[in-house]
Amino acid sequence: MLASTAARSGTSHVAALRRKLPNSVLDESWQTPAQVTVTVTREALPEAVEALYYGRDGWLSVVVGSDERKLNGNFAVYYVLSMEGAEKSHVVLRSLVPPDSMEYPSVTPRVPAAVWGEREVRDMFGMHPVGLPDERRLVLPDDWPDDLYPLRKDAMDYRLRPDITADTETYEFSNAAKSETTEVPLGPLHITSDEPGHFRLFVDGEDIIDADYRLAYVHRGMEKLAETRMGYNDVTFLADRICGICGFAHSVAFAGAVENALDIHAPPRAGTIRTILLEVERLHSHLLNLGLACHFVGFDTGFMHFFRVREKSMELAELLTGSRKTYALNLIGGVRRDILAEQNTRTRQLIGELRSEVTRLVDILLSTGNMRQRLEGVGLLDHKVARDYSPVGPTVRASGHRRDVRIDHPYAGYAGVAVGQHVLEAGDVLSRTMIRAQEFFDSISIIEHCLDNAPGGPILVEGFTYKPYSFALGYTEAPRGEDIHWCMLGDNQKVHRIRFRASSYNNWPALRYMLRGNTVSDAPIIIASIDPCYSCTDRVTVVDVRRRSASVVPYSEMERYSRERTNSPLK
Amino acid sequence: MASYYVIILAIGQGAALLLLAPLASGFSRVLRAKIHTRTGPPLLQDYRDIFKLLKRQEIVPKGAGLIFRAMPFILMATLLLIAMSMPVLTLASPLSAVGNMFTFVCLLALVRFFFSLSGVDSGSTFAGLGASRETTMCTLMEPVILLALFVAALLAGSTDLGRISVSFASPSQGLIAAELAVTAAIAFAAFVEMGKVPFDMAEAEQELQEGPLTEYSGPGLALLKWSVRLKQLVMASFLIGVFLPYGAAASPSAATLLWAAVVFLIKLVVVFVVVAVIENSVARNRFFMTSHSTWIGFGVAALALVFYLVGL
Repeated sequence: MLASTAARSGTSHVAALRRKLPNSVLDESWQTPAQVTVTVTREALPEAVEALYYGRDGWLSVVVGSDERKLNGNFAVYYVLSMEGAEKSHVVLRSLVPPDSMEYPSVTPRVPAAVWGEREVRDMFGMHPVGLPDERRLVLPDDWPDDLYPLRKDAMDYRLRPDITADTETYEFSNAAKSETTEVPLGPLHITSDEPGHFRLFVDGEDIIDADYRLAYVHRGMEKLAETRMGYNDVTFLADRICGICGFAHSVAFAGAVENALDIHAPPRAGTIRTILLEVERLHSHLLNLGLACHFVGFDTGFMHFFRVREKSMELAELLTGSRKTYALNLIGGVRRDILAEQNTRTRQLIGELRSEVTRLVDILLSTGNMRQRLEGVGLLDHKVARDYSPVGPTVRASGHRRDVRIDHPYAGYAGVAVGQHVLEAGDVLSRTMIRAQEFFDSISIIEHCLDNAPGGPILVEGFTYKPYSFALGYTEAPRGEDIHWCMLGDNQKVHRIRFRASSYNNWPALRYMLRGNTVSDAPIIIASIDPCYSCTDRVTVVDVRRRSASVVPYSEMERYSRERTNSPLK
Repeated sequence: MASYYVIILAIGQGAALLLLAPLASGFSRVLRAKIHTRTGPPLLQDYRDIFKLLKRQEIVPKGAGLIFRAMPFILMATLLLIAMSMPVLTLASPLSAVGNMFTFVCLLALVRFFFSLSGVDSGSTFAGLGASRETTMCTLMEPVILLALFVAALLAGSTDLGRISVSFASPSQGLIAAELAVTAAIAFAAFVEMGKVPFDMAEAEQELQEGPLTEYSGPGLALLKWSVRLKQLVMASFLIGVFLPYGAAASPSAATLLWAAVVFLIKLVVVFVVVAVIENSVARNRFFMTSHSTWIGFGVAALALVFYLVGL
C-alpha cells in the first residue's frame, strides 16, 4: 500500500498545498504512487480546492460524502481532483465534518464544478455546505421526509420506501432571463428522450433564453444496495449494471478502485483484455450516438444505417464476453475469460468490416446537404465554461481541453498504447460529433494493437487479503468520458462506502450553457450531443414516485407478461 | 345530362382520392423502410392505424374550445372540396364553379389557417410553436404558388384549372421554357406542401412533438391523420392533373377514363418514389433557415414570368 517516495507522482501538489495553507494541512496518505489523500481543516477546504483546481491544472472529478462516525466520530467529505498539468496524479482533499454542527464551507462559489456534488452530499447525508448558491434538492424527490438521509449508516433499511405525500412536484426551476419568457416543459417523459428527465426551456419565440432541468427520476439505490446487501466482490457485477452502454467501464473502475486499495496488480494480459473490451464498448457507444445525431435532425436514413452497422459491435461483444453487452467479465484482480486464437481471428475480421462500413457511413453523413447546417455553431460550450464545470469526454475535448483518462492516468493496458487524442476548438455539436467519429477509428486501431501485442500469462490473481477500511479511487475513460469510483472497504467483507460517478454526471451541469441562445428545435440535438445517460446519473436511492406501495413483481410474472402482453403486473 | 355526369365524376374522384390516401402514405412508408434497410410496416398499415384510432377514446385538453374540436372536420371537408374540383383524370375540371386557381389557393390557405388556429386553441406550447411555424410556411409558400399559377393563367388565357390543364396538355402552343419553369415551381411548392422532411416544420416530431397534432387523440386524430395524408395525395395529384396532364381524358368516356386512371397511377408512383428519395436523403432544415430554400421556388416562378414576357 505504501509505495516508495521516489516513484510518487503528485508530491509537488502536496508541497504547494502545505506552502499555501501551512496550518491547515493535517495529514497526507498515499493509496498508490499517483494517488494521495490530503486531510485539510474544514475552513481551508474551499481555498485548497481552488488552489489545486485553478492554480495547478486540476479538474474536479467527484465529491464524495461518507459516514465515518464508526471510524473517527465524524462525517467526511472528499473532493477528488484529477491533476492534469505537468505532474499528473489524483489528489483527494478530505475534510471531517463533526456530527453536531454538520456544516462546512461550500466550495461552489470558488469552483462551480462542485455544485452537483455538494447538493447530493446535502441530500444524502444532511451535511450542509454553508454558502452553496443552489440549495434545491438534487436526487431526492420533493416530498421525501426532511430528516431522512438515506446514506447515513443508521438512517434506513435499503428496502424502505417512504410514503408519497404530494401528487405535484414543487421543484423550482431557475430562470436567469432578464426579459419575459415563455416556459416550455420537456418531460419528465418526453418524446425525444428514452429516459425520464425534466427540462424547462425559457423561451422567447423560438429562442432559448435560459434552461433548467431536474433529473433523478429513476434512482436505483445502487450505492445503498452495494453498501448494505452485497459482498465487496459482488459489486463488480452490480457496477456492470450502472449503465446499459458503458457497464464494462464501470466494472473496470470499481475493480480498479479495490485493486488500488488492496495493492493488487492485475496481470498484464488481463489489462490488455480489459482494454480491448473497453474499446469495443466505445465502438458500440459512438455508433449509437452518431445514429442518434442523425435521428434528432430528422435524417432517419442515417440513423437506421448506423444502427445496422452497430449490430457488428454487439456481435463482437458476444464473441468476447458471451453476452451481447460487455457484462460480467471483470473480477477483482483480473478477468474471467481469455481471448482465444479463433476469437482473435474473428475479432480482426469484424473490426475490418466495421472500419470499411463506418468509413462509408461517415462520408455519407458529412456529405448530406443540410447535416452540417444543423450541427455547426449549435450548442456552443464555451472554453471557459468547460474549464469551470469539469465536463469530461468528447464534450470537453470539443471545447479545446486535452482531457482523456487513458492518457492522463493510464490504467488497464493503456500504458503502452498510443491513444490518438482529438481536440477541437469550436465547442459546437459538430465538433463533438466529429470527435466521436475520429475516436471510433482510433478504437479500432487500439484493438488491433492490443491483439497484436497481447502479453501471455495468467488472467487473474488470487489469494489477496481484504484489508478493512482501506480505500482508493478507480477510473476509466468511458465512451462519454471519465468514470470514477471512490471505494472504501468495510470490516465485514462489504464496502463501507462506494461512490459511483458516471461520466454524464459531470456533463449535465454545463448543458444549461449549451442550450442558451439556441432555438427550441435545436434542444434535442444539443442534449443528445453530450450523449447523456440518465440512469447512470441517477443511481442512489430507490424511490418509486408513481406508486404508493412497493410490491415485488416475481420474475415468472414478468416473463408471462412479456409473452402474453395481457394483465400487466405493473398496474 | 352532362352536368349530372360531371357531378358523379367529381364525387367519385373525391372519394377515390380519400380512399387512396392511406395507401399512398403506406407506400411512402414502405419506400422509407427500404431506404433505411428495415423491414418496415406492411403497405396497408395506415388503414389499420386510422381504423384503430377511430375506435379509441378522445381526450380534449381543458382549455381547448370549439375550433379545436371542429378543425378535423373542416380540414377534411376543405380538402375533399379541393379533391373534387381539380382536374385529375379529365382535362376539364369536374366542378368548374370551384375549379379556379383563386379558389384553389384560398382553400389551401383555409386548411393552413385552421390547422394553425387549432394549435393555438389547444393551449399547448408545442402546438403553439407548430402553429406559428405553419403560418410562417404559409407566407413563404403562397407567393410561390400564386406567381406560378398567375403565369400559368397567362399562358392558358384563363384562371380556370381545367383550361390551364388543357393548355399544358398540348405543348405545341409554344412558350416551352415558361411552361417548364411553371411546372418546376409548382412541383417544388407541392413538395413543400406535402410536409415532408426537410420541410415538415410544423409537425417536426423530434423538435415539436408533432406540433398542432400534439393534443389530438382518438377519432379526431384519425381524421386529422387521414386529412394530412389526403393533403399529400391532393398536392401530388394537383401537380400531375394540372401541369403534367398527358394521358388525361379530353372527352370523358369509360375507356378514356380507364386509360387516364392507369396513366395517373403510374405518374403517382413516380412522384412518390422521387419524393421518398428526397425526403430520406436529407436532414430537416433549421427552421429560421427555411426561407433560404423556399426562395428557390419563388425564383423559379419569377423565372417563369420572365420567360413568358420574353416569349420563350
